[in-house]
Amino acid sequence: MDKSIQLSELNVGYGKTVVLNDVNITIEKGQIVCLIGANGAGKSTVLKTIVGQLKKLGGAVYLNGSDKDAMSEEDVAKTVSMVMTERIHPELMTCFDVVATGRYPYTGRLGFLDDRDKAAINEAIDMVGAGKIKDKDFSKISDGQRQRIMLARAICQDADVMILDEPTSFLDLQYKLDILKVIKKIAATKQVAVLMSIHELEFVPAVADKVIGIAGDEVYVTGSPEEVLTGANLETMYKMTPGTGEIICSGLWNYSESIRRLLP
Amino acid sequence: MDSISRRIKIAFIGMIVLLVVFFFVSVGVGSADISVIDIVKSLVNPGEVYMGKIIISIRLPRIIGAIVLGGALSVSGFLLQVFFGNPIAGPYVLGISSSAKLFVALSMVFLLGKGVNISSLVLVVSAFVGSLIAMGIVMSLSQKVRNMSLLVVCGVMIGYICSAITEFVVTFADDTNIVNLHNWSLGSFSGISMDHVVVSSVIVIIAIVFTIVFSKPIGAFQLGENYARNMGVNIKYIRIVLILLSSILSATVTAFAGPISFVGIAVPHIMRGIMKTAKPLVMVPACFLGGAIITLFCDGIARTAFAPTEISISAVTSVFLAPVVIYLLVARKEAARG
Repeated sequence: MDKSIQLSELNVGYGKTVVLNDVNITIEKGQIVCLIGANGAGKSTVLKTIVGQLKKLGGAVYLNGSDKDAMSEEDVAKTVSMVMTERIHPELMTCFDVVATGRYPYTGRLGFLDDRDKAAINEAIDMVGAGKIKDKDFSKISDGQRQRIMLARAICQDADVMILDEPTSFLDLQYKLDILKVIKKIAATKQVAVLMSIHELEFVPAVADKVIGIAGDEVYVTGSPEEVLTGANLETMYKMTPGTGEIICSGLWNYSESIRRLLP
Repeated sequence: MDSISRRIKIAFIGMIVLLVVFFFVSVGVGSADISVIDIVKSLVNPGEVYMGKIIISIRLPRIIGAIVLGGALSVSGFLLQVFFGNPIAGPYVLGISSSAKLFVALSMVFLLGKGVNISSLVLVVSAFVGSLIAMGIVMSLSQKVRNMSLLVVCGVMIGYICSAITEFVVTFADDTNIVNLHNWSLGSFSGISMDHVVVSSVIVIIAIVFTIVFSKPIGAFQLGENYARNMGVNIKYIRIVLILLSSILSATVTAFAGPISFVGIAVPHIMRGIMKTAKPLVMVPACFLGGAIITLFCDGIARTAFAPTEISISAVTSVFLAPVVIYLLVARKEAARG
C-alpha cells in the first residue's frame, strides 16, 4: 500500500547492452534508500532508467502501484522529481526561475505561476536555505549553491518519489551535511520516498533506511547500513585487495558515528 | 522581478515606436520622396494622391514583406537556438536557408521549363522541403559533432554547396523568369508582390501563434531534454514541433526574399541582451519585433544607399550583424575557459 516506487525485475543498460540484471527495489513513503557501488557499476544507469532518460531493457517500474508505462507524462512528472549529475545551462534565469520550473506539471497552458505555485517555490527555497540567492543569476553561483537550487527545484515539484544521482559529490563537507539534512527532512515531513546514489559511504548510516550495493551485473547485497557496510562486502563491491575492507570499515564506522550526531 | 518586467514593457513600447517610425520613413524615402501626410492619405484613399500607386503597388508590399519575413526569420533563429541548446544557431549559418534556396530554384527551373506557372504556395513548399533536408543533415551531424562552433562551420559549408549548385542552375537556365532569380538568390525584397505578402503573412501568423501556444514546453526545453522530460514534456513531440516551426518560418522567408544572412542568429541574441530574460513568451514577440525593425532598416539601406543600384539585403545585414556573431563565438570561448 505504502510502496511509492517499486522496481520489478528491471534490466537496465545502454542501447542493447545490459549493465544490470533483475533489479528489484521497493521504497516506502518517507524511506531513504542509498545505492552504492563502484564507478561504472550502474548506479546512474538505474536512476536514469527510472526517470526515462534511458529505455529500460526489461521488467517494470511501478509508481504508487501503477505501471509507469501506462501513466501520462504529466502524471509521472507529478510523481517523480529528480536531481541528476548533468549540469544545466539555463540562460538568463534567476535561481527563483530555475526552482519555478519544478512547478511545470501544475501550471496552466502558458505556464504562469499562481499564488500557490509561488508559495511552494518560496517554501522550497527556504527549506534549502537559499533565500538570499534566489534573485541571483543561476549561471553565476557556486556549485554548492547550484546543488541546493536543483534540490529546491525537485522539492517544489511536490512528487512522491525523489531520484537523486550523487547529490553530495563535489561539495565541501558543510554543503554535504546541509544537503543531506534537507533530504532527511523532506523524506520525514513530506513522506517522500528517496532513492539516491552516493559515493561517500561515511554518510550512508546517517541517512539510509536501506542500502543497496551493486557488484558485477546485479544487486549484490540489500539491507540496513550495518548489514551492507562490512569489510567483505566493500571488498567485493569496490574490487579491493582482501583484508583492506576490514581496515576501511573500522575507521568508516567511527566517522559515521560522528556524522550521525550531526545529522540526527 | 519588477525591474525586469518594467524593462520588458519599456523595450516593447520602444520597439513598436521604432517600427512605426521606420515604416513611415521607408514608405517615404526612395527614388521619389513622399511626405508623411501623403503616405497617410494614400493609405486611406490611394486614388487621391499622385504617388498613391507607387506606395500601394511597389513600396508597401516590400515594406510589409520586410517586416513580416524579418520577424519570422528571427523567431526561426530563436527556435533553432532552443533546439540546439546553443545561441550560435540560425537558419543561415546552419545552411538551412541556402538549402531552401536551392530547392526553390530547382522547382522553378523544372516547372517553368514545362511551362507551368508557379504559385506562391509551390515556392513555400519547395523551400520547406529544402529546409527540412538541411535540418536533417545538420541534426545527424550534431550527433557526431558535439562542438557547436564546428557544427556552424559544417552548416556554412552546406550553405556554400547549395549556393554553388543554385548558381549552376540559375546560370544555365536561360528563361527570362529565371534570370530574375539572380537578385533573389542573393537575398532581396525587390521582387516581392502583394500576393506574396498575403501568403507569407498568413503562414507566418499561424506559425507564430503555434509558437506562442507551445511556449511552455519550449521554455522547459531550455533546461535541457532530461529535465524537460522530468517536467512532463513529451520530448519527441516537442522536438518535432521545434523543427517544423523553425523550418516553416525560415522557408517562407527564403521562398520570397531569398537567403538573408545573420538576422536569425543575431537578433535573438540582441533581444536577450535587451530583455534580460530568455522566456519564450517574451522572446518570441521580442524577436519578431526586433527582426522586423532590423530587416526593415537594412532593406532601406539596400534600396537607397547606392540608388538607383540596389544591393542585396544580405550584404547589409552581414555588415551590421556578422560582428555580433563573431562576438558570440568569442564570448562563448571565453566563458568555456573561465
